Amino acid sequence: MTRRAGVFVCHCGTNIAATVDVKRVAAELARDAGVVFSNDYVYMCSDPGQQSVIDAIREHNLDSVVISCCSPNLHEKTFREASSQGGLNPFQCEIANIREQCAWVHKDRDEATTKAVKITRSAVERARRNQPLTPIGLPVTRKVMVIGGGIAGIQSALDLANAGLDVVLVEKQPTIGGHMIQLSETFPTLDCSQCILSPKMVEVSKHPKITLMTSSEVTSVSGFVGNFKIKVHTKAQYVDPDKCKLCDDCTAVCPVVVPNEYDVGLNDRRAIFIPFAQAIPASYYLDPESCLGLNPVVCGKCANVCEADAIDYDAKPKDSEIDVGAIVVATGFDLYAKDKMAEYGGGKYPDVLDGIQFERMCSASGPTGGQVLRPSDHEEPKTVVFVQCSGSRDPAQHCVYCSKICCMYTAKHATLYKHHVPNGRAYVFYIDIRSGGKGYEEFVQRAMERDGVIYLRGRVSKIYQSKGKLKVLGVDTLAGKNVEIDADMVVLAQAMVPSKGTTEVAKALKIGRDKDGFLAEAHPKLRPVESVTGGIFLTGAAQAPKDIPETVCQASAAASKVIALLSKPELEHSPVVARVRESHCTGCEMCVDVCPFEAITLVEGKAHVNEVLCEGCGTCVGTCVRAAIDVKNVTQLQVFEMLEACMGGE
Amino acid sequence: MSFGKLKKAYGRITINPNWCKGCGFCVEYCPTDALEMSNAYNAKGYHPPRVKNADECRDCKFCEKVCPEFAIFVTTDQR
Repeated sequence: MTRRAGVFVCHCGTNIAATVDVKRVAAELARDAGVVFSNDYVYMCSDPGQQSVIDAIREHNLDSVVISCCSPNLHEKTFREASSQGGLNPFQCEIANIREQCAWVHKDRDEATTKAVKITRSAVERARRNQPLTPIGLPVTRKVMVIGGGIAGIQSALDLANAGLDVVLVEKQPTIGGHMIQLSETFPTLDCSQCILSPKMVEVSKHPKITLMTSSEVTSVSGFVGNFKIKVHTKAQYVDPDKCKLCDDCTAVCPVVVPNEYDVGLNDRRAIFIPFAQAIPASYYLDPESCLGLNPVVCGKCANVCEADAIDYDAKPKDSEIDVGAIVVATGFDLYAKDKMAEYGGGKYPDVLDGIQFERMCSASGPTGGQVLRPSDHEEPKTVVFVQCSGSRDPAQHCVYCSKICCMYTAKHATLYKHHVPNGRAYVFYIDIRSGGKGYEEFVQRAMERDGVIYLRGRVSKIYQSKGKLKVLGVDTLAGKNVEIDADMVVLAQAMVPSKGTTEVAKALKIGRDKDGFLAEAHPKLRPVESVTGGIFLTGAAQAPKDIPETVCQASAAASKVIALLSKPELEHSPVVARVRESHCTGCEMCVDVCPFEAITLVEGKAHVNEVLCEGCGTCVGTCVRAAIDVKNVTQLQVFEMLEACMGGE
Repeated sequence: MSFGKLKKAYGRITINPNWCKGCGFCVEYCPTDALEMSNAYNAKGYHPPRVKNADECRDCKFCEKVCPEFAIFVTTDQR
C-alpha cells in the first residue's frame, strides 16, 4: 500500500475548467491523508505538464500518481509513460475522468466541483493499492489477411506485401477489382478507371508475397491481436485458373444466356464467362447457379471443347484455416437499391438508371462500347436528368447521411454525357453541391460553364412515364417555381450503403457497426482506421462513404498501422488480468462458463486463467460466489474503497 | 433492356406420346423446367409429358438420355 500519492488536476483548456473549479479540486485533495503533492495545470498532457509530473515524482518521492483529466482512453498511456520516466511502475498511475464523466455532463459549477473531488479521491484510493505490474509478452504471426479485393483491399495488400509481410487477399467475387473496375472515368481528372486499376490488379496477382483467394469468404475468426485463426470458405472452382488459356471456346458453345452482373444487367453473359477481359485471376469462371447441371451428361459442351482440359465439374468447395497477426477489412459498399426509389420509377422504367449502370454505359468496354443509349429502344437520349441525393439525406424514407461522392460523380456523368452527345441537354437536380477536394470545385464549375450542364436547385418529387418520355416533376427553389421536364433518360445518384459482405464480415469478426451499418472506427478523429478490437483495421467505403483518393489514403494508412504493429518481435498485452485465489476456489466452473474470451479453464479442479486471452473485463469476478477470483489492480477491496471515497462525507 | 448480343441455344422438343410409359424422368430432370406432365392418356393408358415452355429448352438433350422408352428427342432450333 502506497502512502505518498501525487494528484495532478488538468484544466483541459476550458473543457474542464469552465465547469469545475480545478484549483479547489487540487486544494481539497492536498488536505487528504496520504496525498503529499497536489497541483493543477492548463494542459497536463502537454510537454511542460508531463514534465511537472515527472519532476514531482522525483522531488516528492511519490509512490503513486493520479491524473484528474479526460478519459483514460485518451491519455492513460501518455501519463503512464510519464510516470515511468519519473521512476514509477506505470501501473501505479491512475486516471480520474473529470471531463467526460463530470465537466461535460454538468452545468452547476459548485456541484460539478464536488463531484470532481470525489472522482479524484476514489482514484487516489484505487492507486493506493495498485501493484506494480509488467506487460505480458505475446508472440506475433507476421502474416496479414486483407478481406475485400476492391481498390481499398488491393492498395492495402500491395503496401503490406511491399513492406515484406505475407498477405492473404480474400475476395468473394471471382475477380478482384471491386466497384472501381466498373467505372468509366474518374473525377476530377477524367482518367480511365481501368487504366489506373488494372496494373495494380496484375501486380497483386504476380506479387510473390500475396496469396490471392477469390470466390472465398471469411466464415469465422478466433484468437486475438497478433494471433488470429481465420476460417475461409472457398467455393468450388470448376475452371482451373492455372490451366485456362482464355481462348473463349467455351462461351461459344454454352447454351445459356443470363444478365451480366458486371454490367449491372445492361449486358449478358454465358453460364461460363470471364467477368471482364482484365479479370484477375485471368480465367473463365463457371457459375453453378446458371449452368444447366455441372454434369457432362446433361450438357457438358464447355468441357468437350476445352482443349486445355481446365473444366472439372467434380470440383469441391474448400475450407482452409489461416493464421494471421492482423486483419484489414475492406469490404466496400453497394449502391442503395434503385427499386427502393418507387417515386422515381427505379426498377420499373428501363430508362431510369443508377450511377453504376451509367458508368458502364460510358465505359469503352461497356455494353454499348461507350455510347450513351436508352436501354428501352437503344436510341440516343436527347434530354437526360440527373437526380442527386437519390436515397441520401432523406431521414423520412431512406438514408439519413450524405453519401459524399454523388455531387462529384453526377458532375462527371453530366460532363461525360455532354461529351458523348454535345447537342443533348443535361439537367442536374441538387440540394447542395458538396465539392470539397483538390480540383473538385473547379470540375463542377467546368461542367456548368464549359459543358453547359443545367443545374437546378431542388428535389425531384416524382418521375413517371408518359408518351414515351419520362416526366420529371421537380422544383427549382432558386427561381421559386415548379419544373416539369420531358426526359429521355434519368440517372439516379443512388446513396452508398455498406455492402452485404460488410454485414457478414462484421458478424464473423465480431466488430462493431455504426447506426447506418458502416464499420465503426475506434475513434472518429484519432483512430479512424482501427476497429475497437485490437489487430483489426478498417479501410475504404465499408467504414463510410468515400471517394477513390480517400480510400487509397485510408488503405495505405491501415497498412502502415499493421506494419507498425507487426514490426515488433513481441506484442504487449495488458497485465490487468484475472487472478485466482486457489485456496478459495471450489472448481464450480461458473467463471469458465461466463468468460466471454474463453480464457478460463479448470486445471486440477481449480480455475486457471490464460493471461494472454484474458481482457480483464471482470465478468468472472461478478460471478464467483466465493470471491476466489479478482482482476489485478481492480480488486474487490479496491472497488469498495473507491465506493467509500465517492460516498464519503454525505 | 439489355444491350447484349449473345444468343441462347434453342431446341425443338418432340414427344412420341404412344411410346411413353409416364415415368416422369424427363420432367424431373429437365434443367430448365421446360416440360410438365399432361392429363391426357396415351394408347397404353399412361400420362405422357408435354412442353410447358418451349423457349426454355436449351437444346441439352438430357431428356433424350434419361427416357427409357426413346419417346422424346430434341432437334436444334436455328432461330
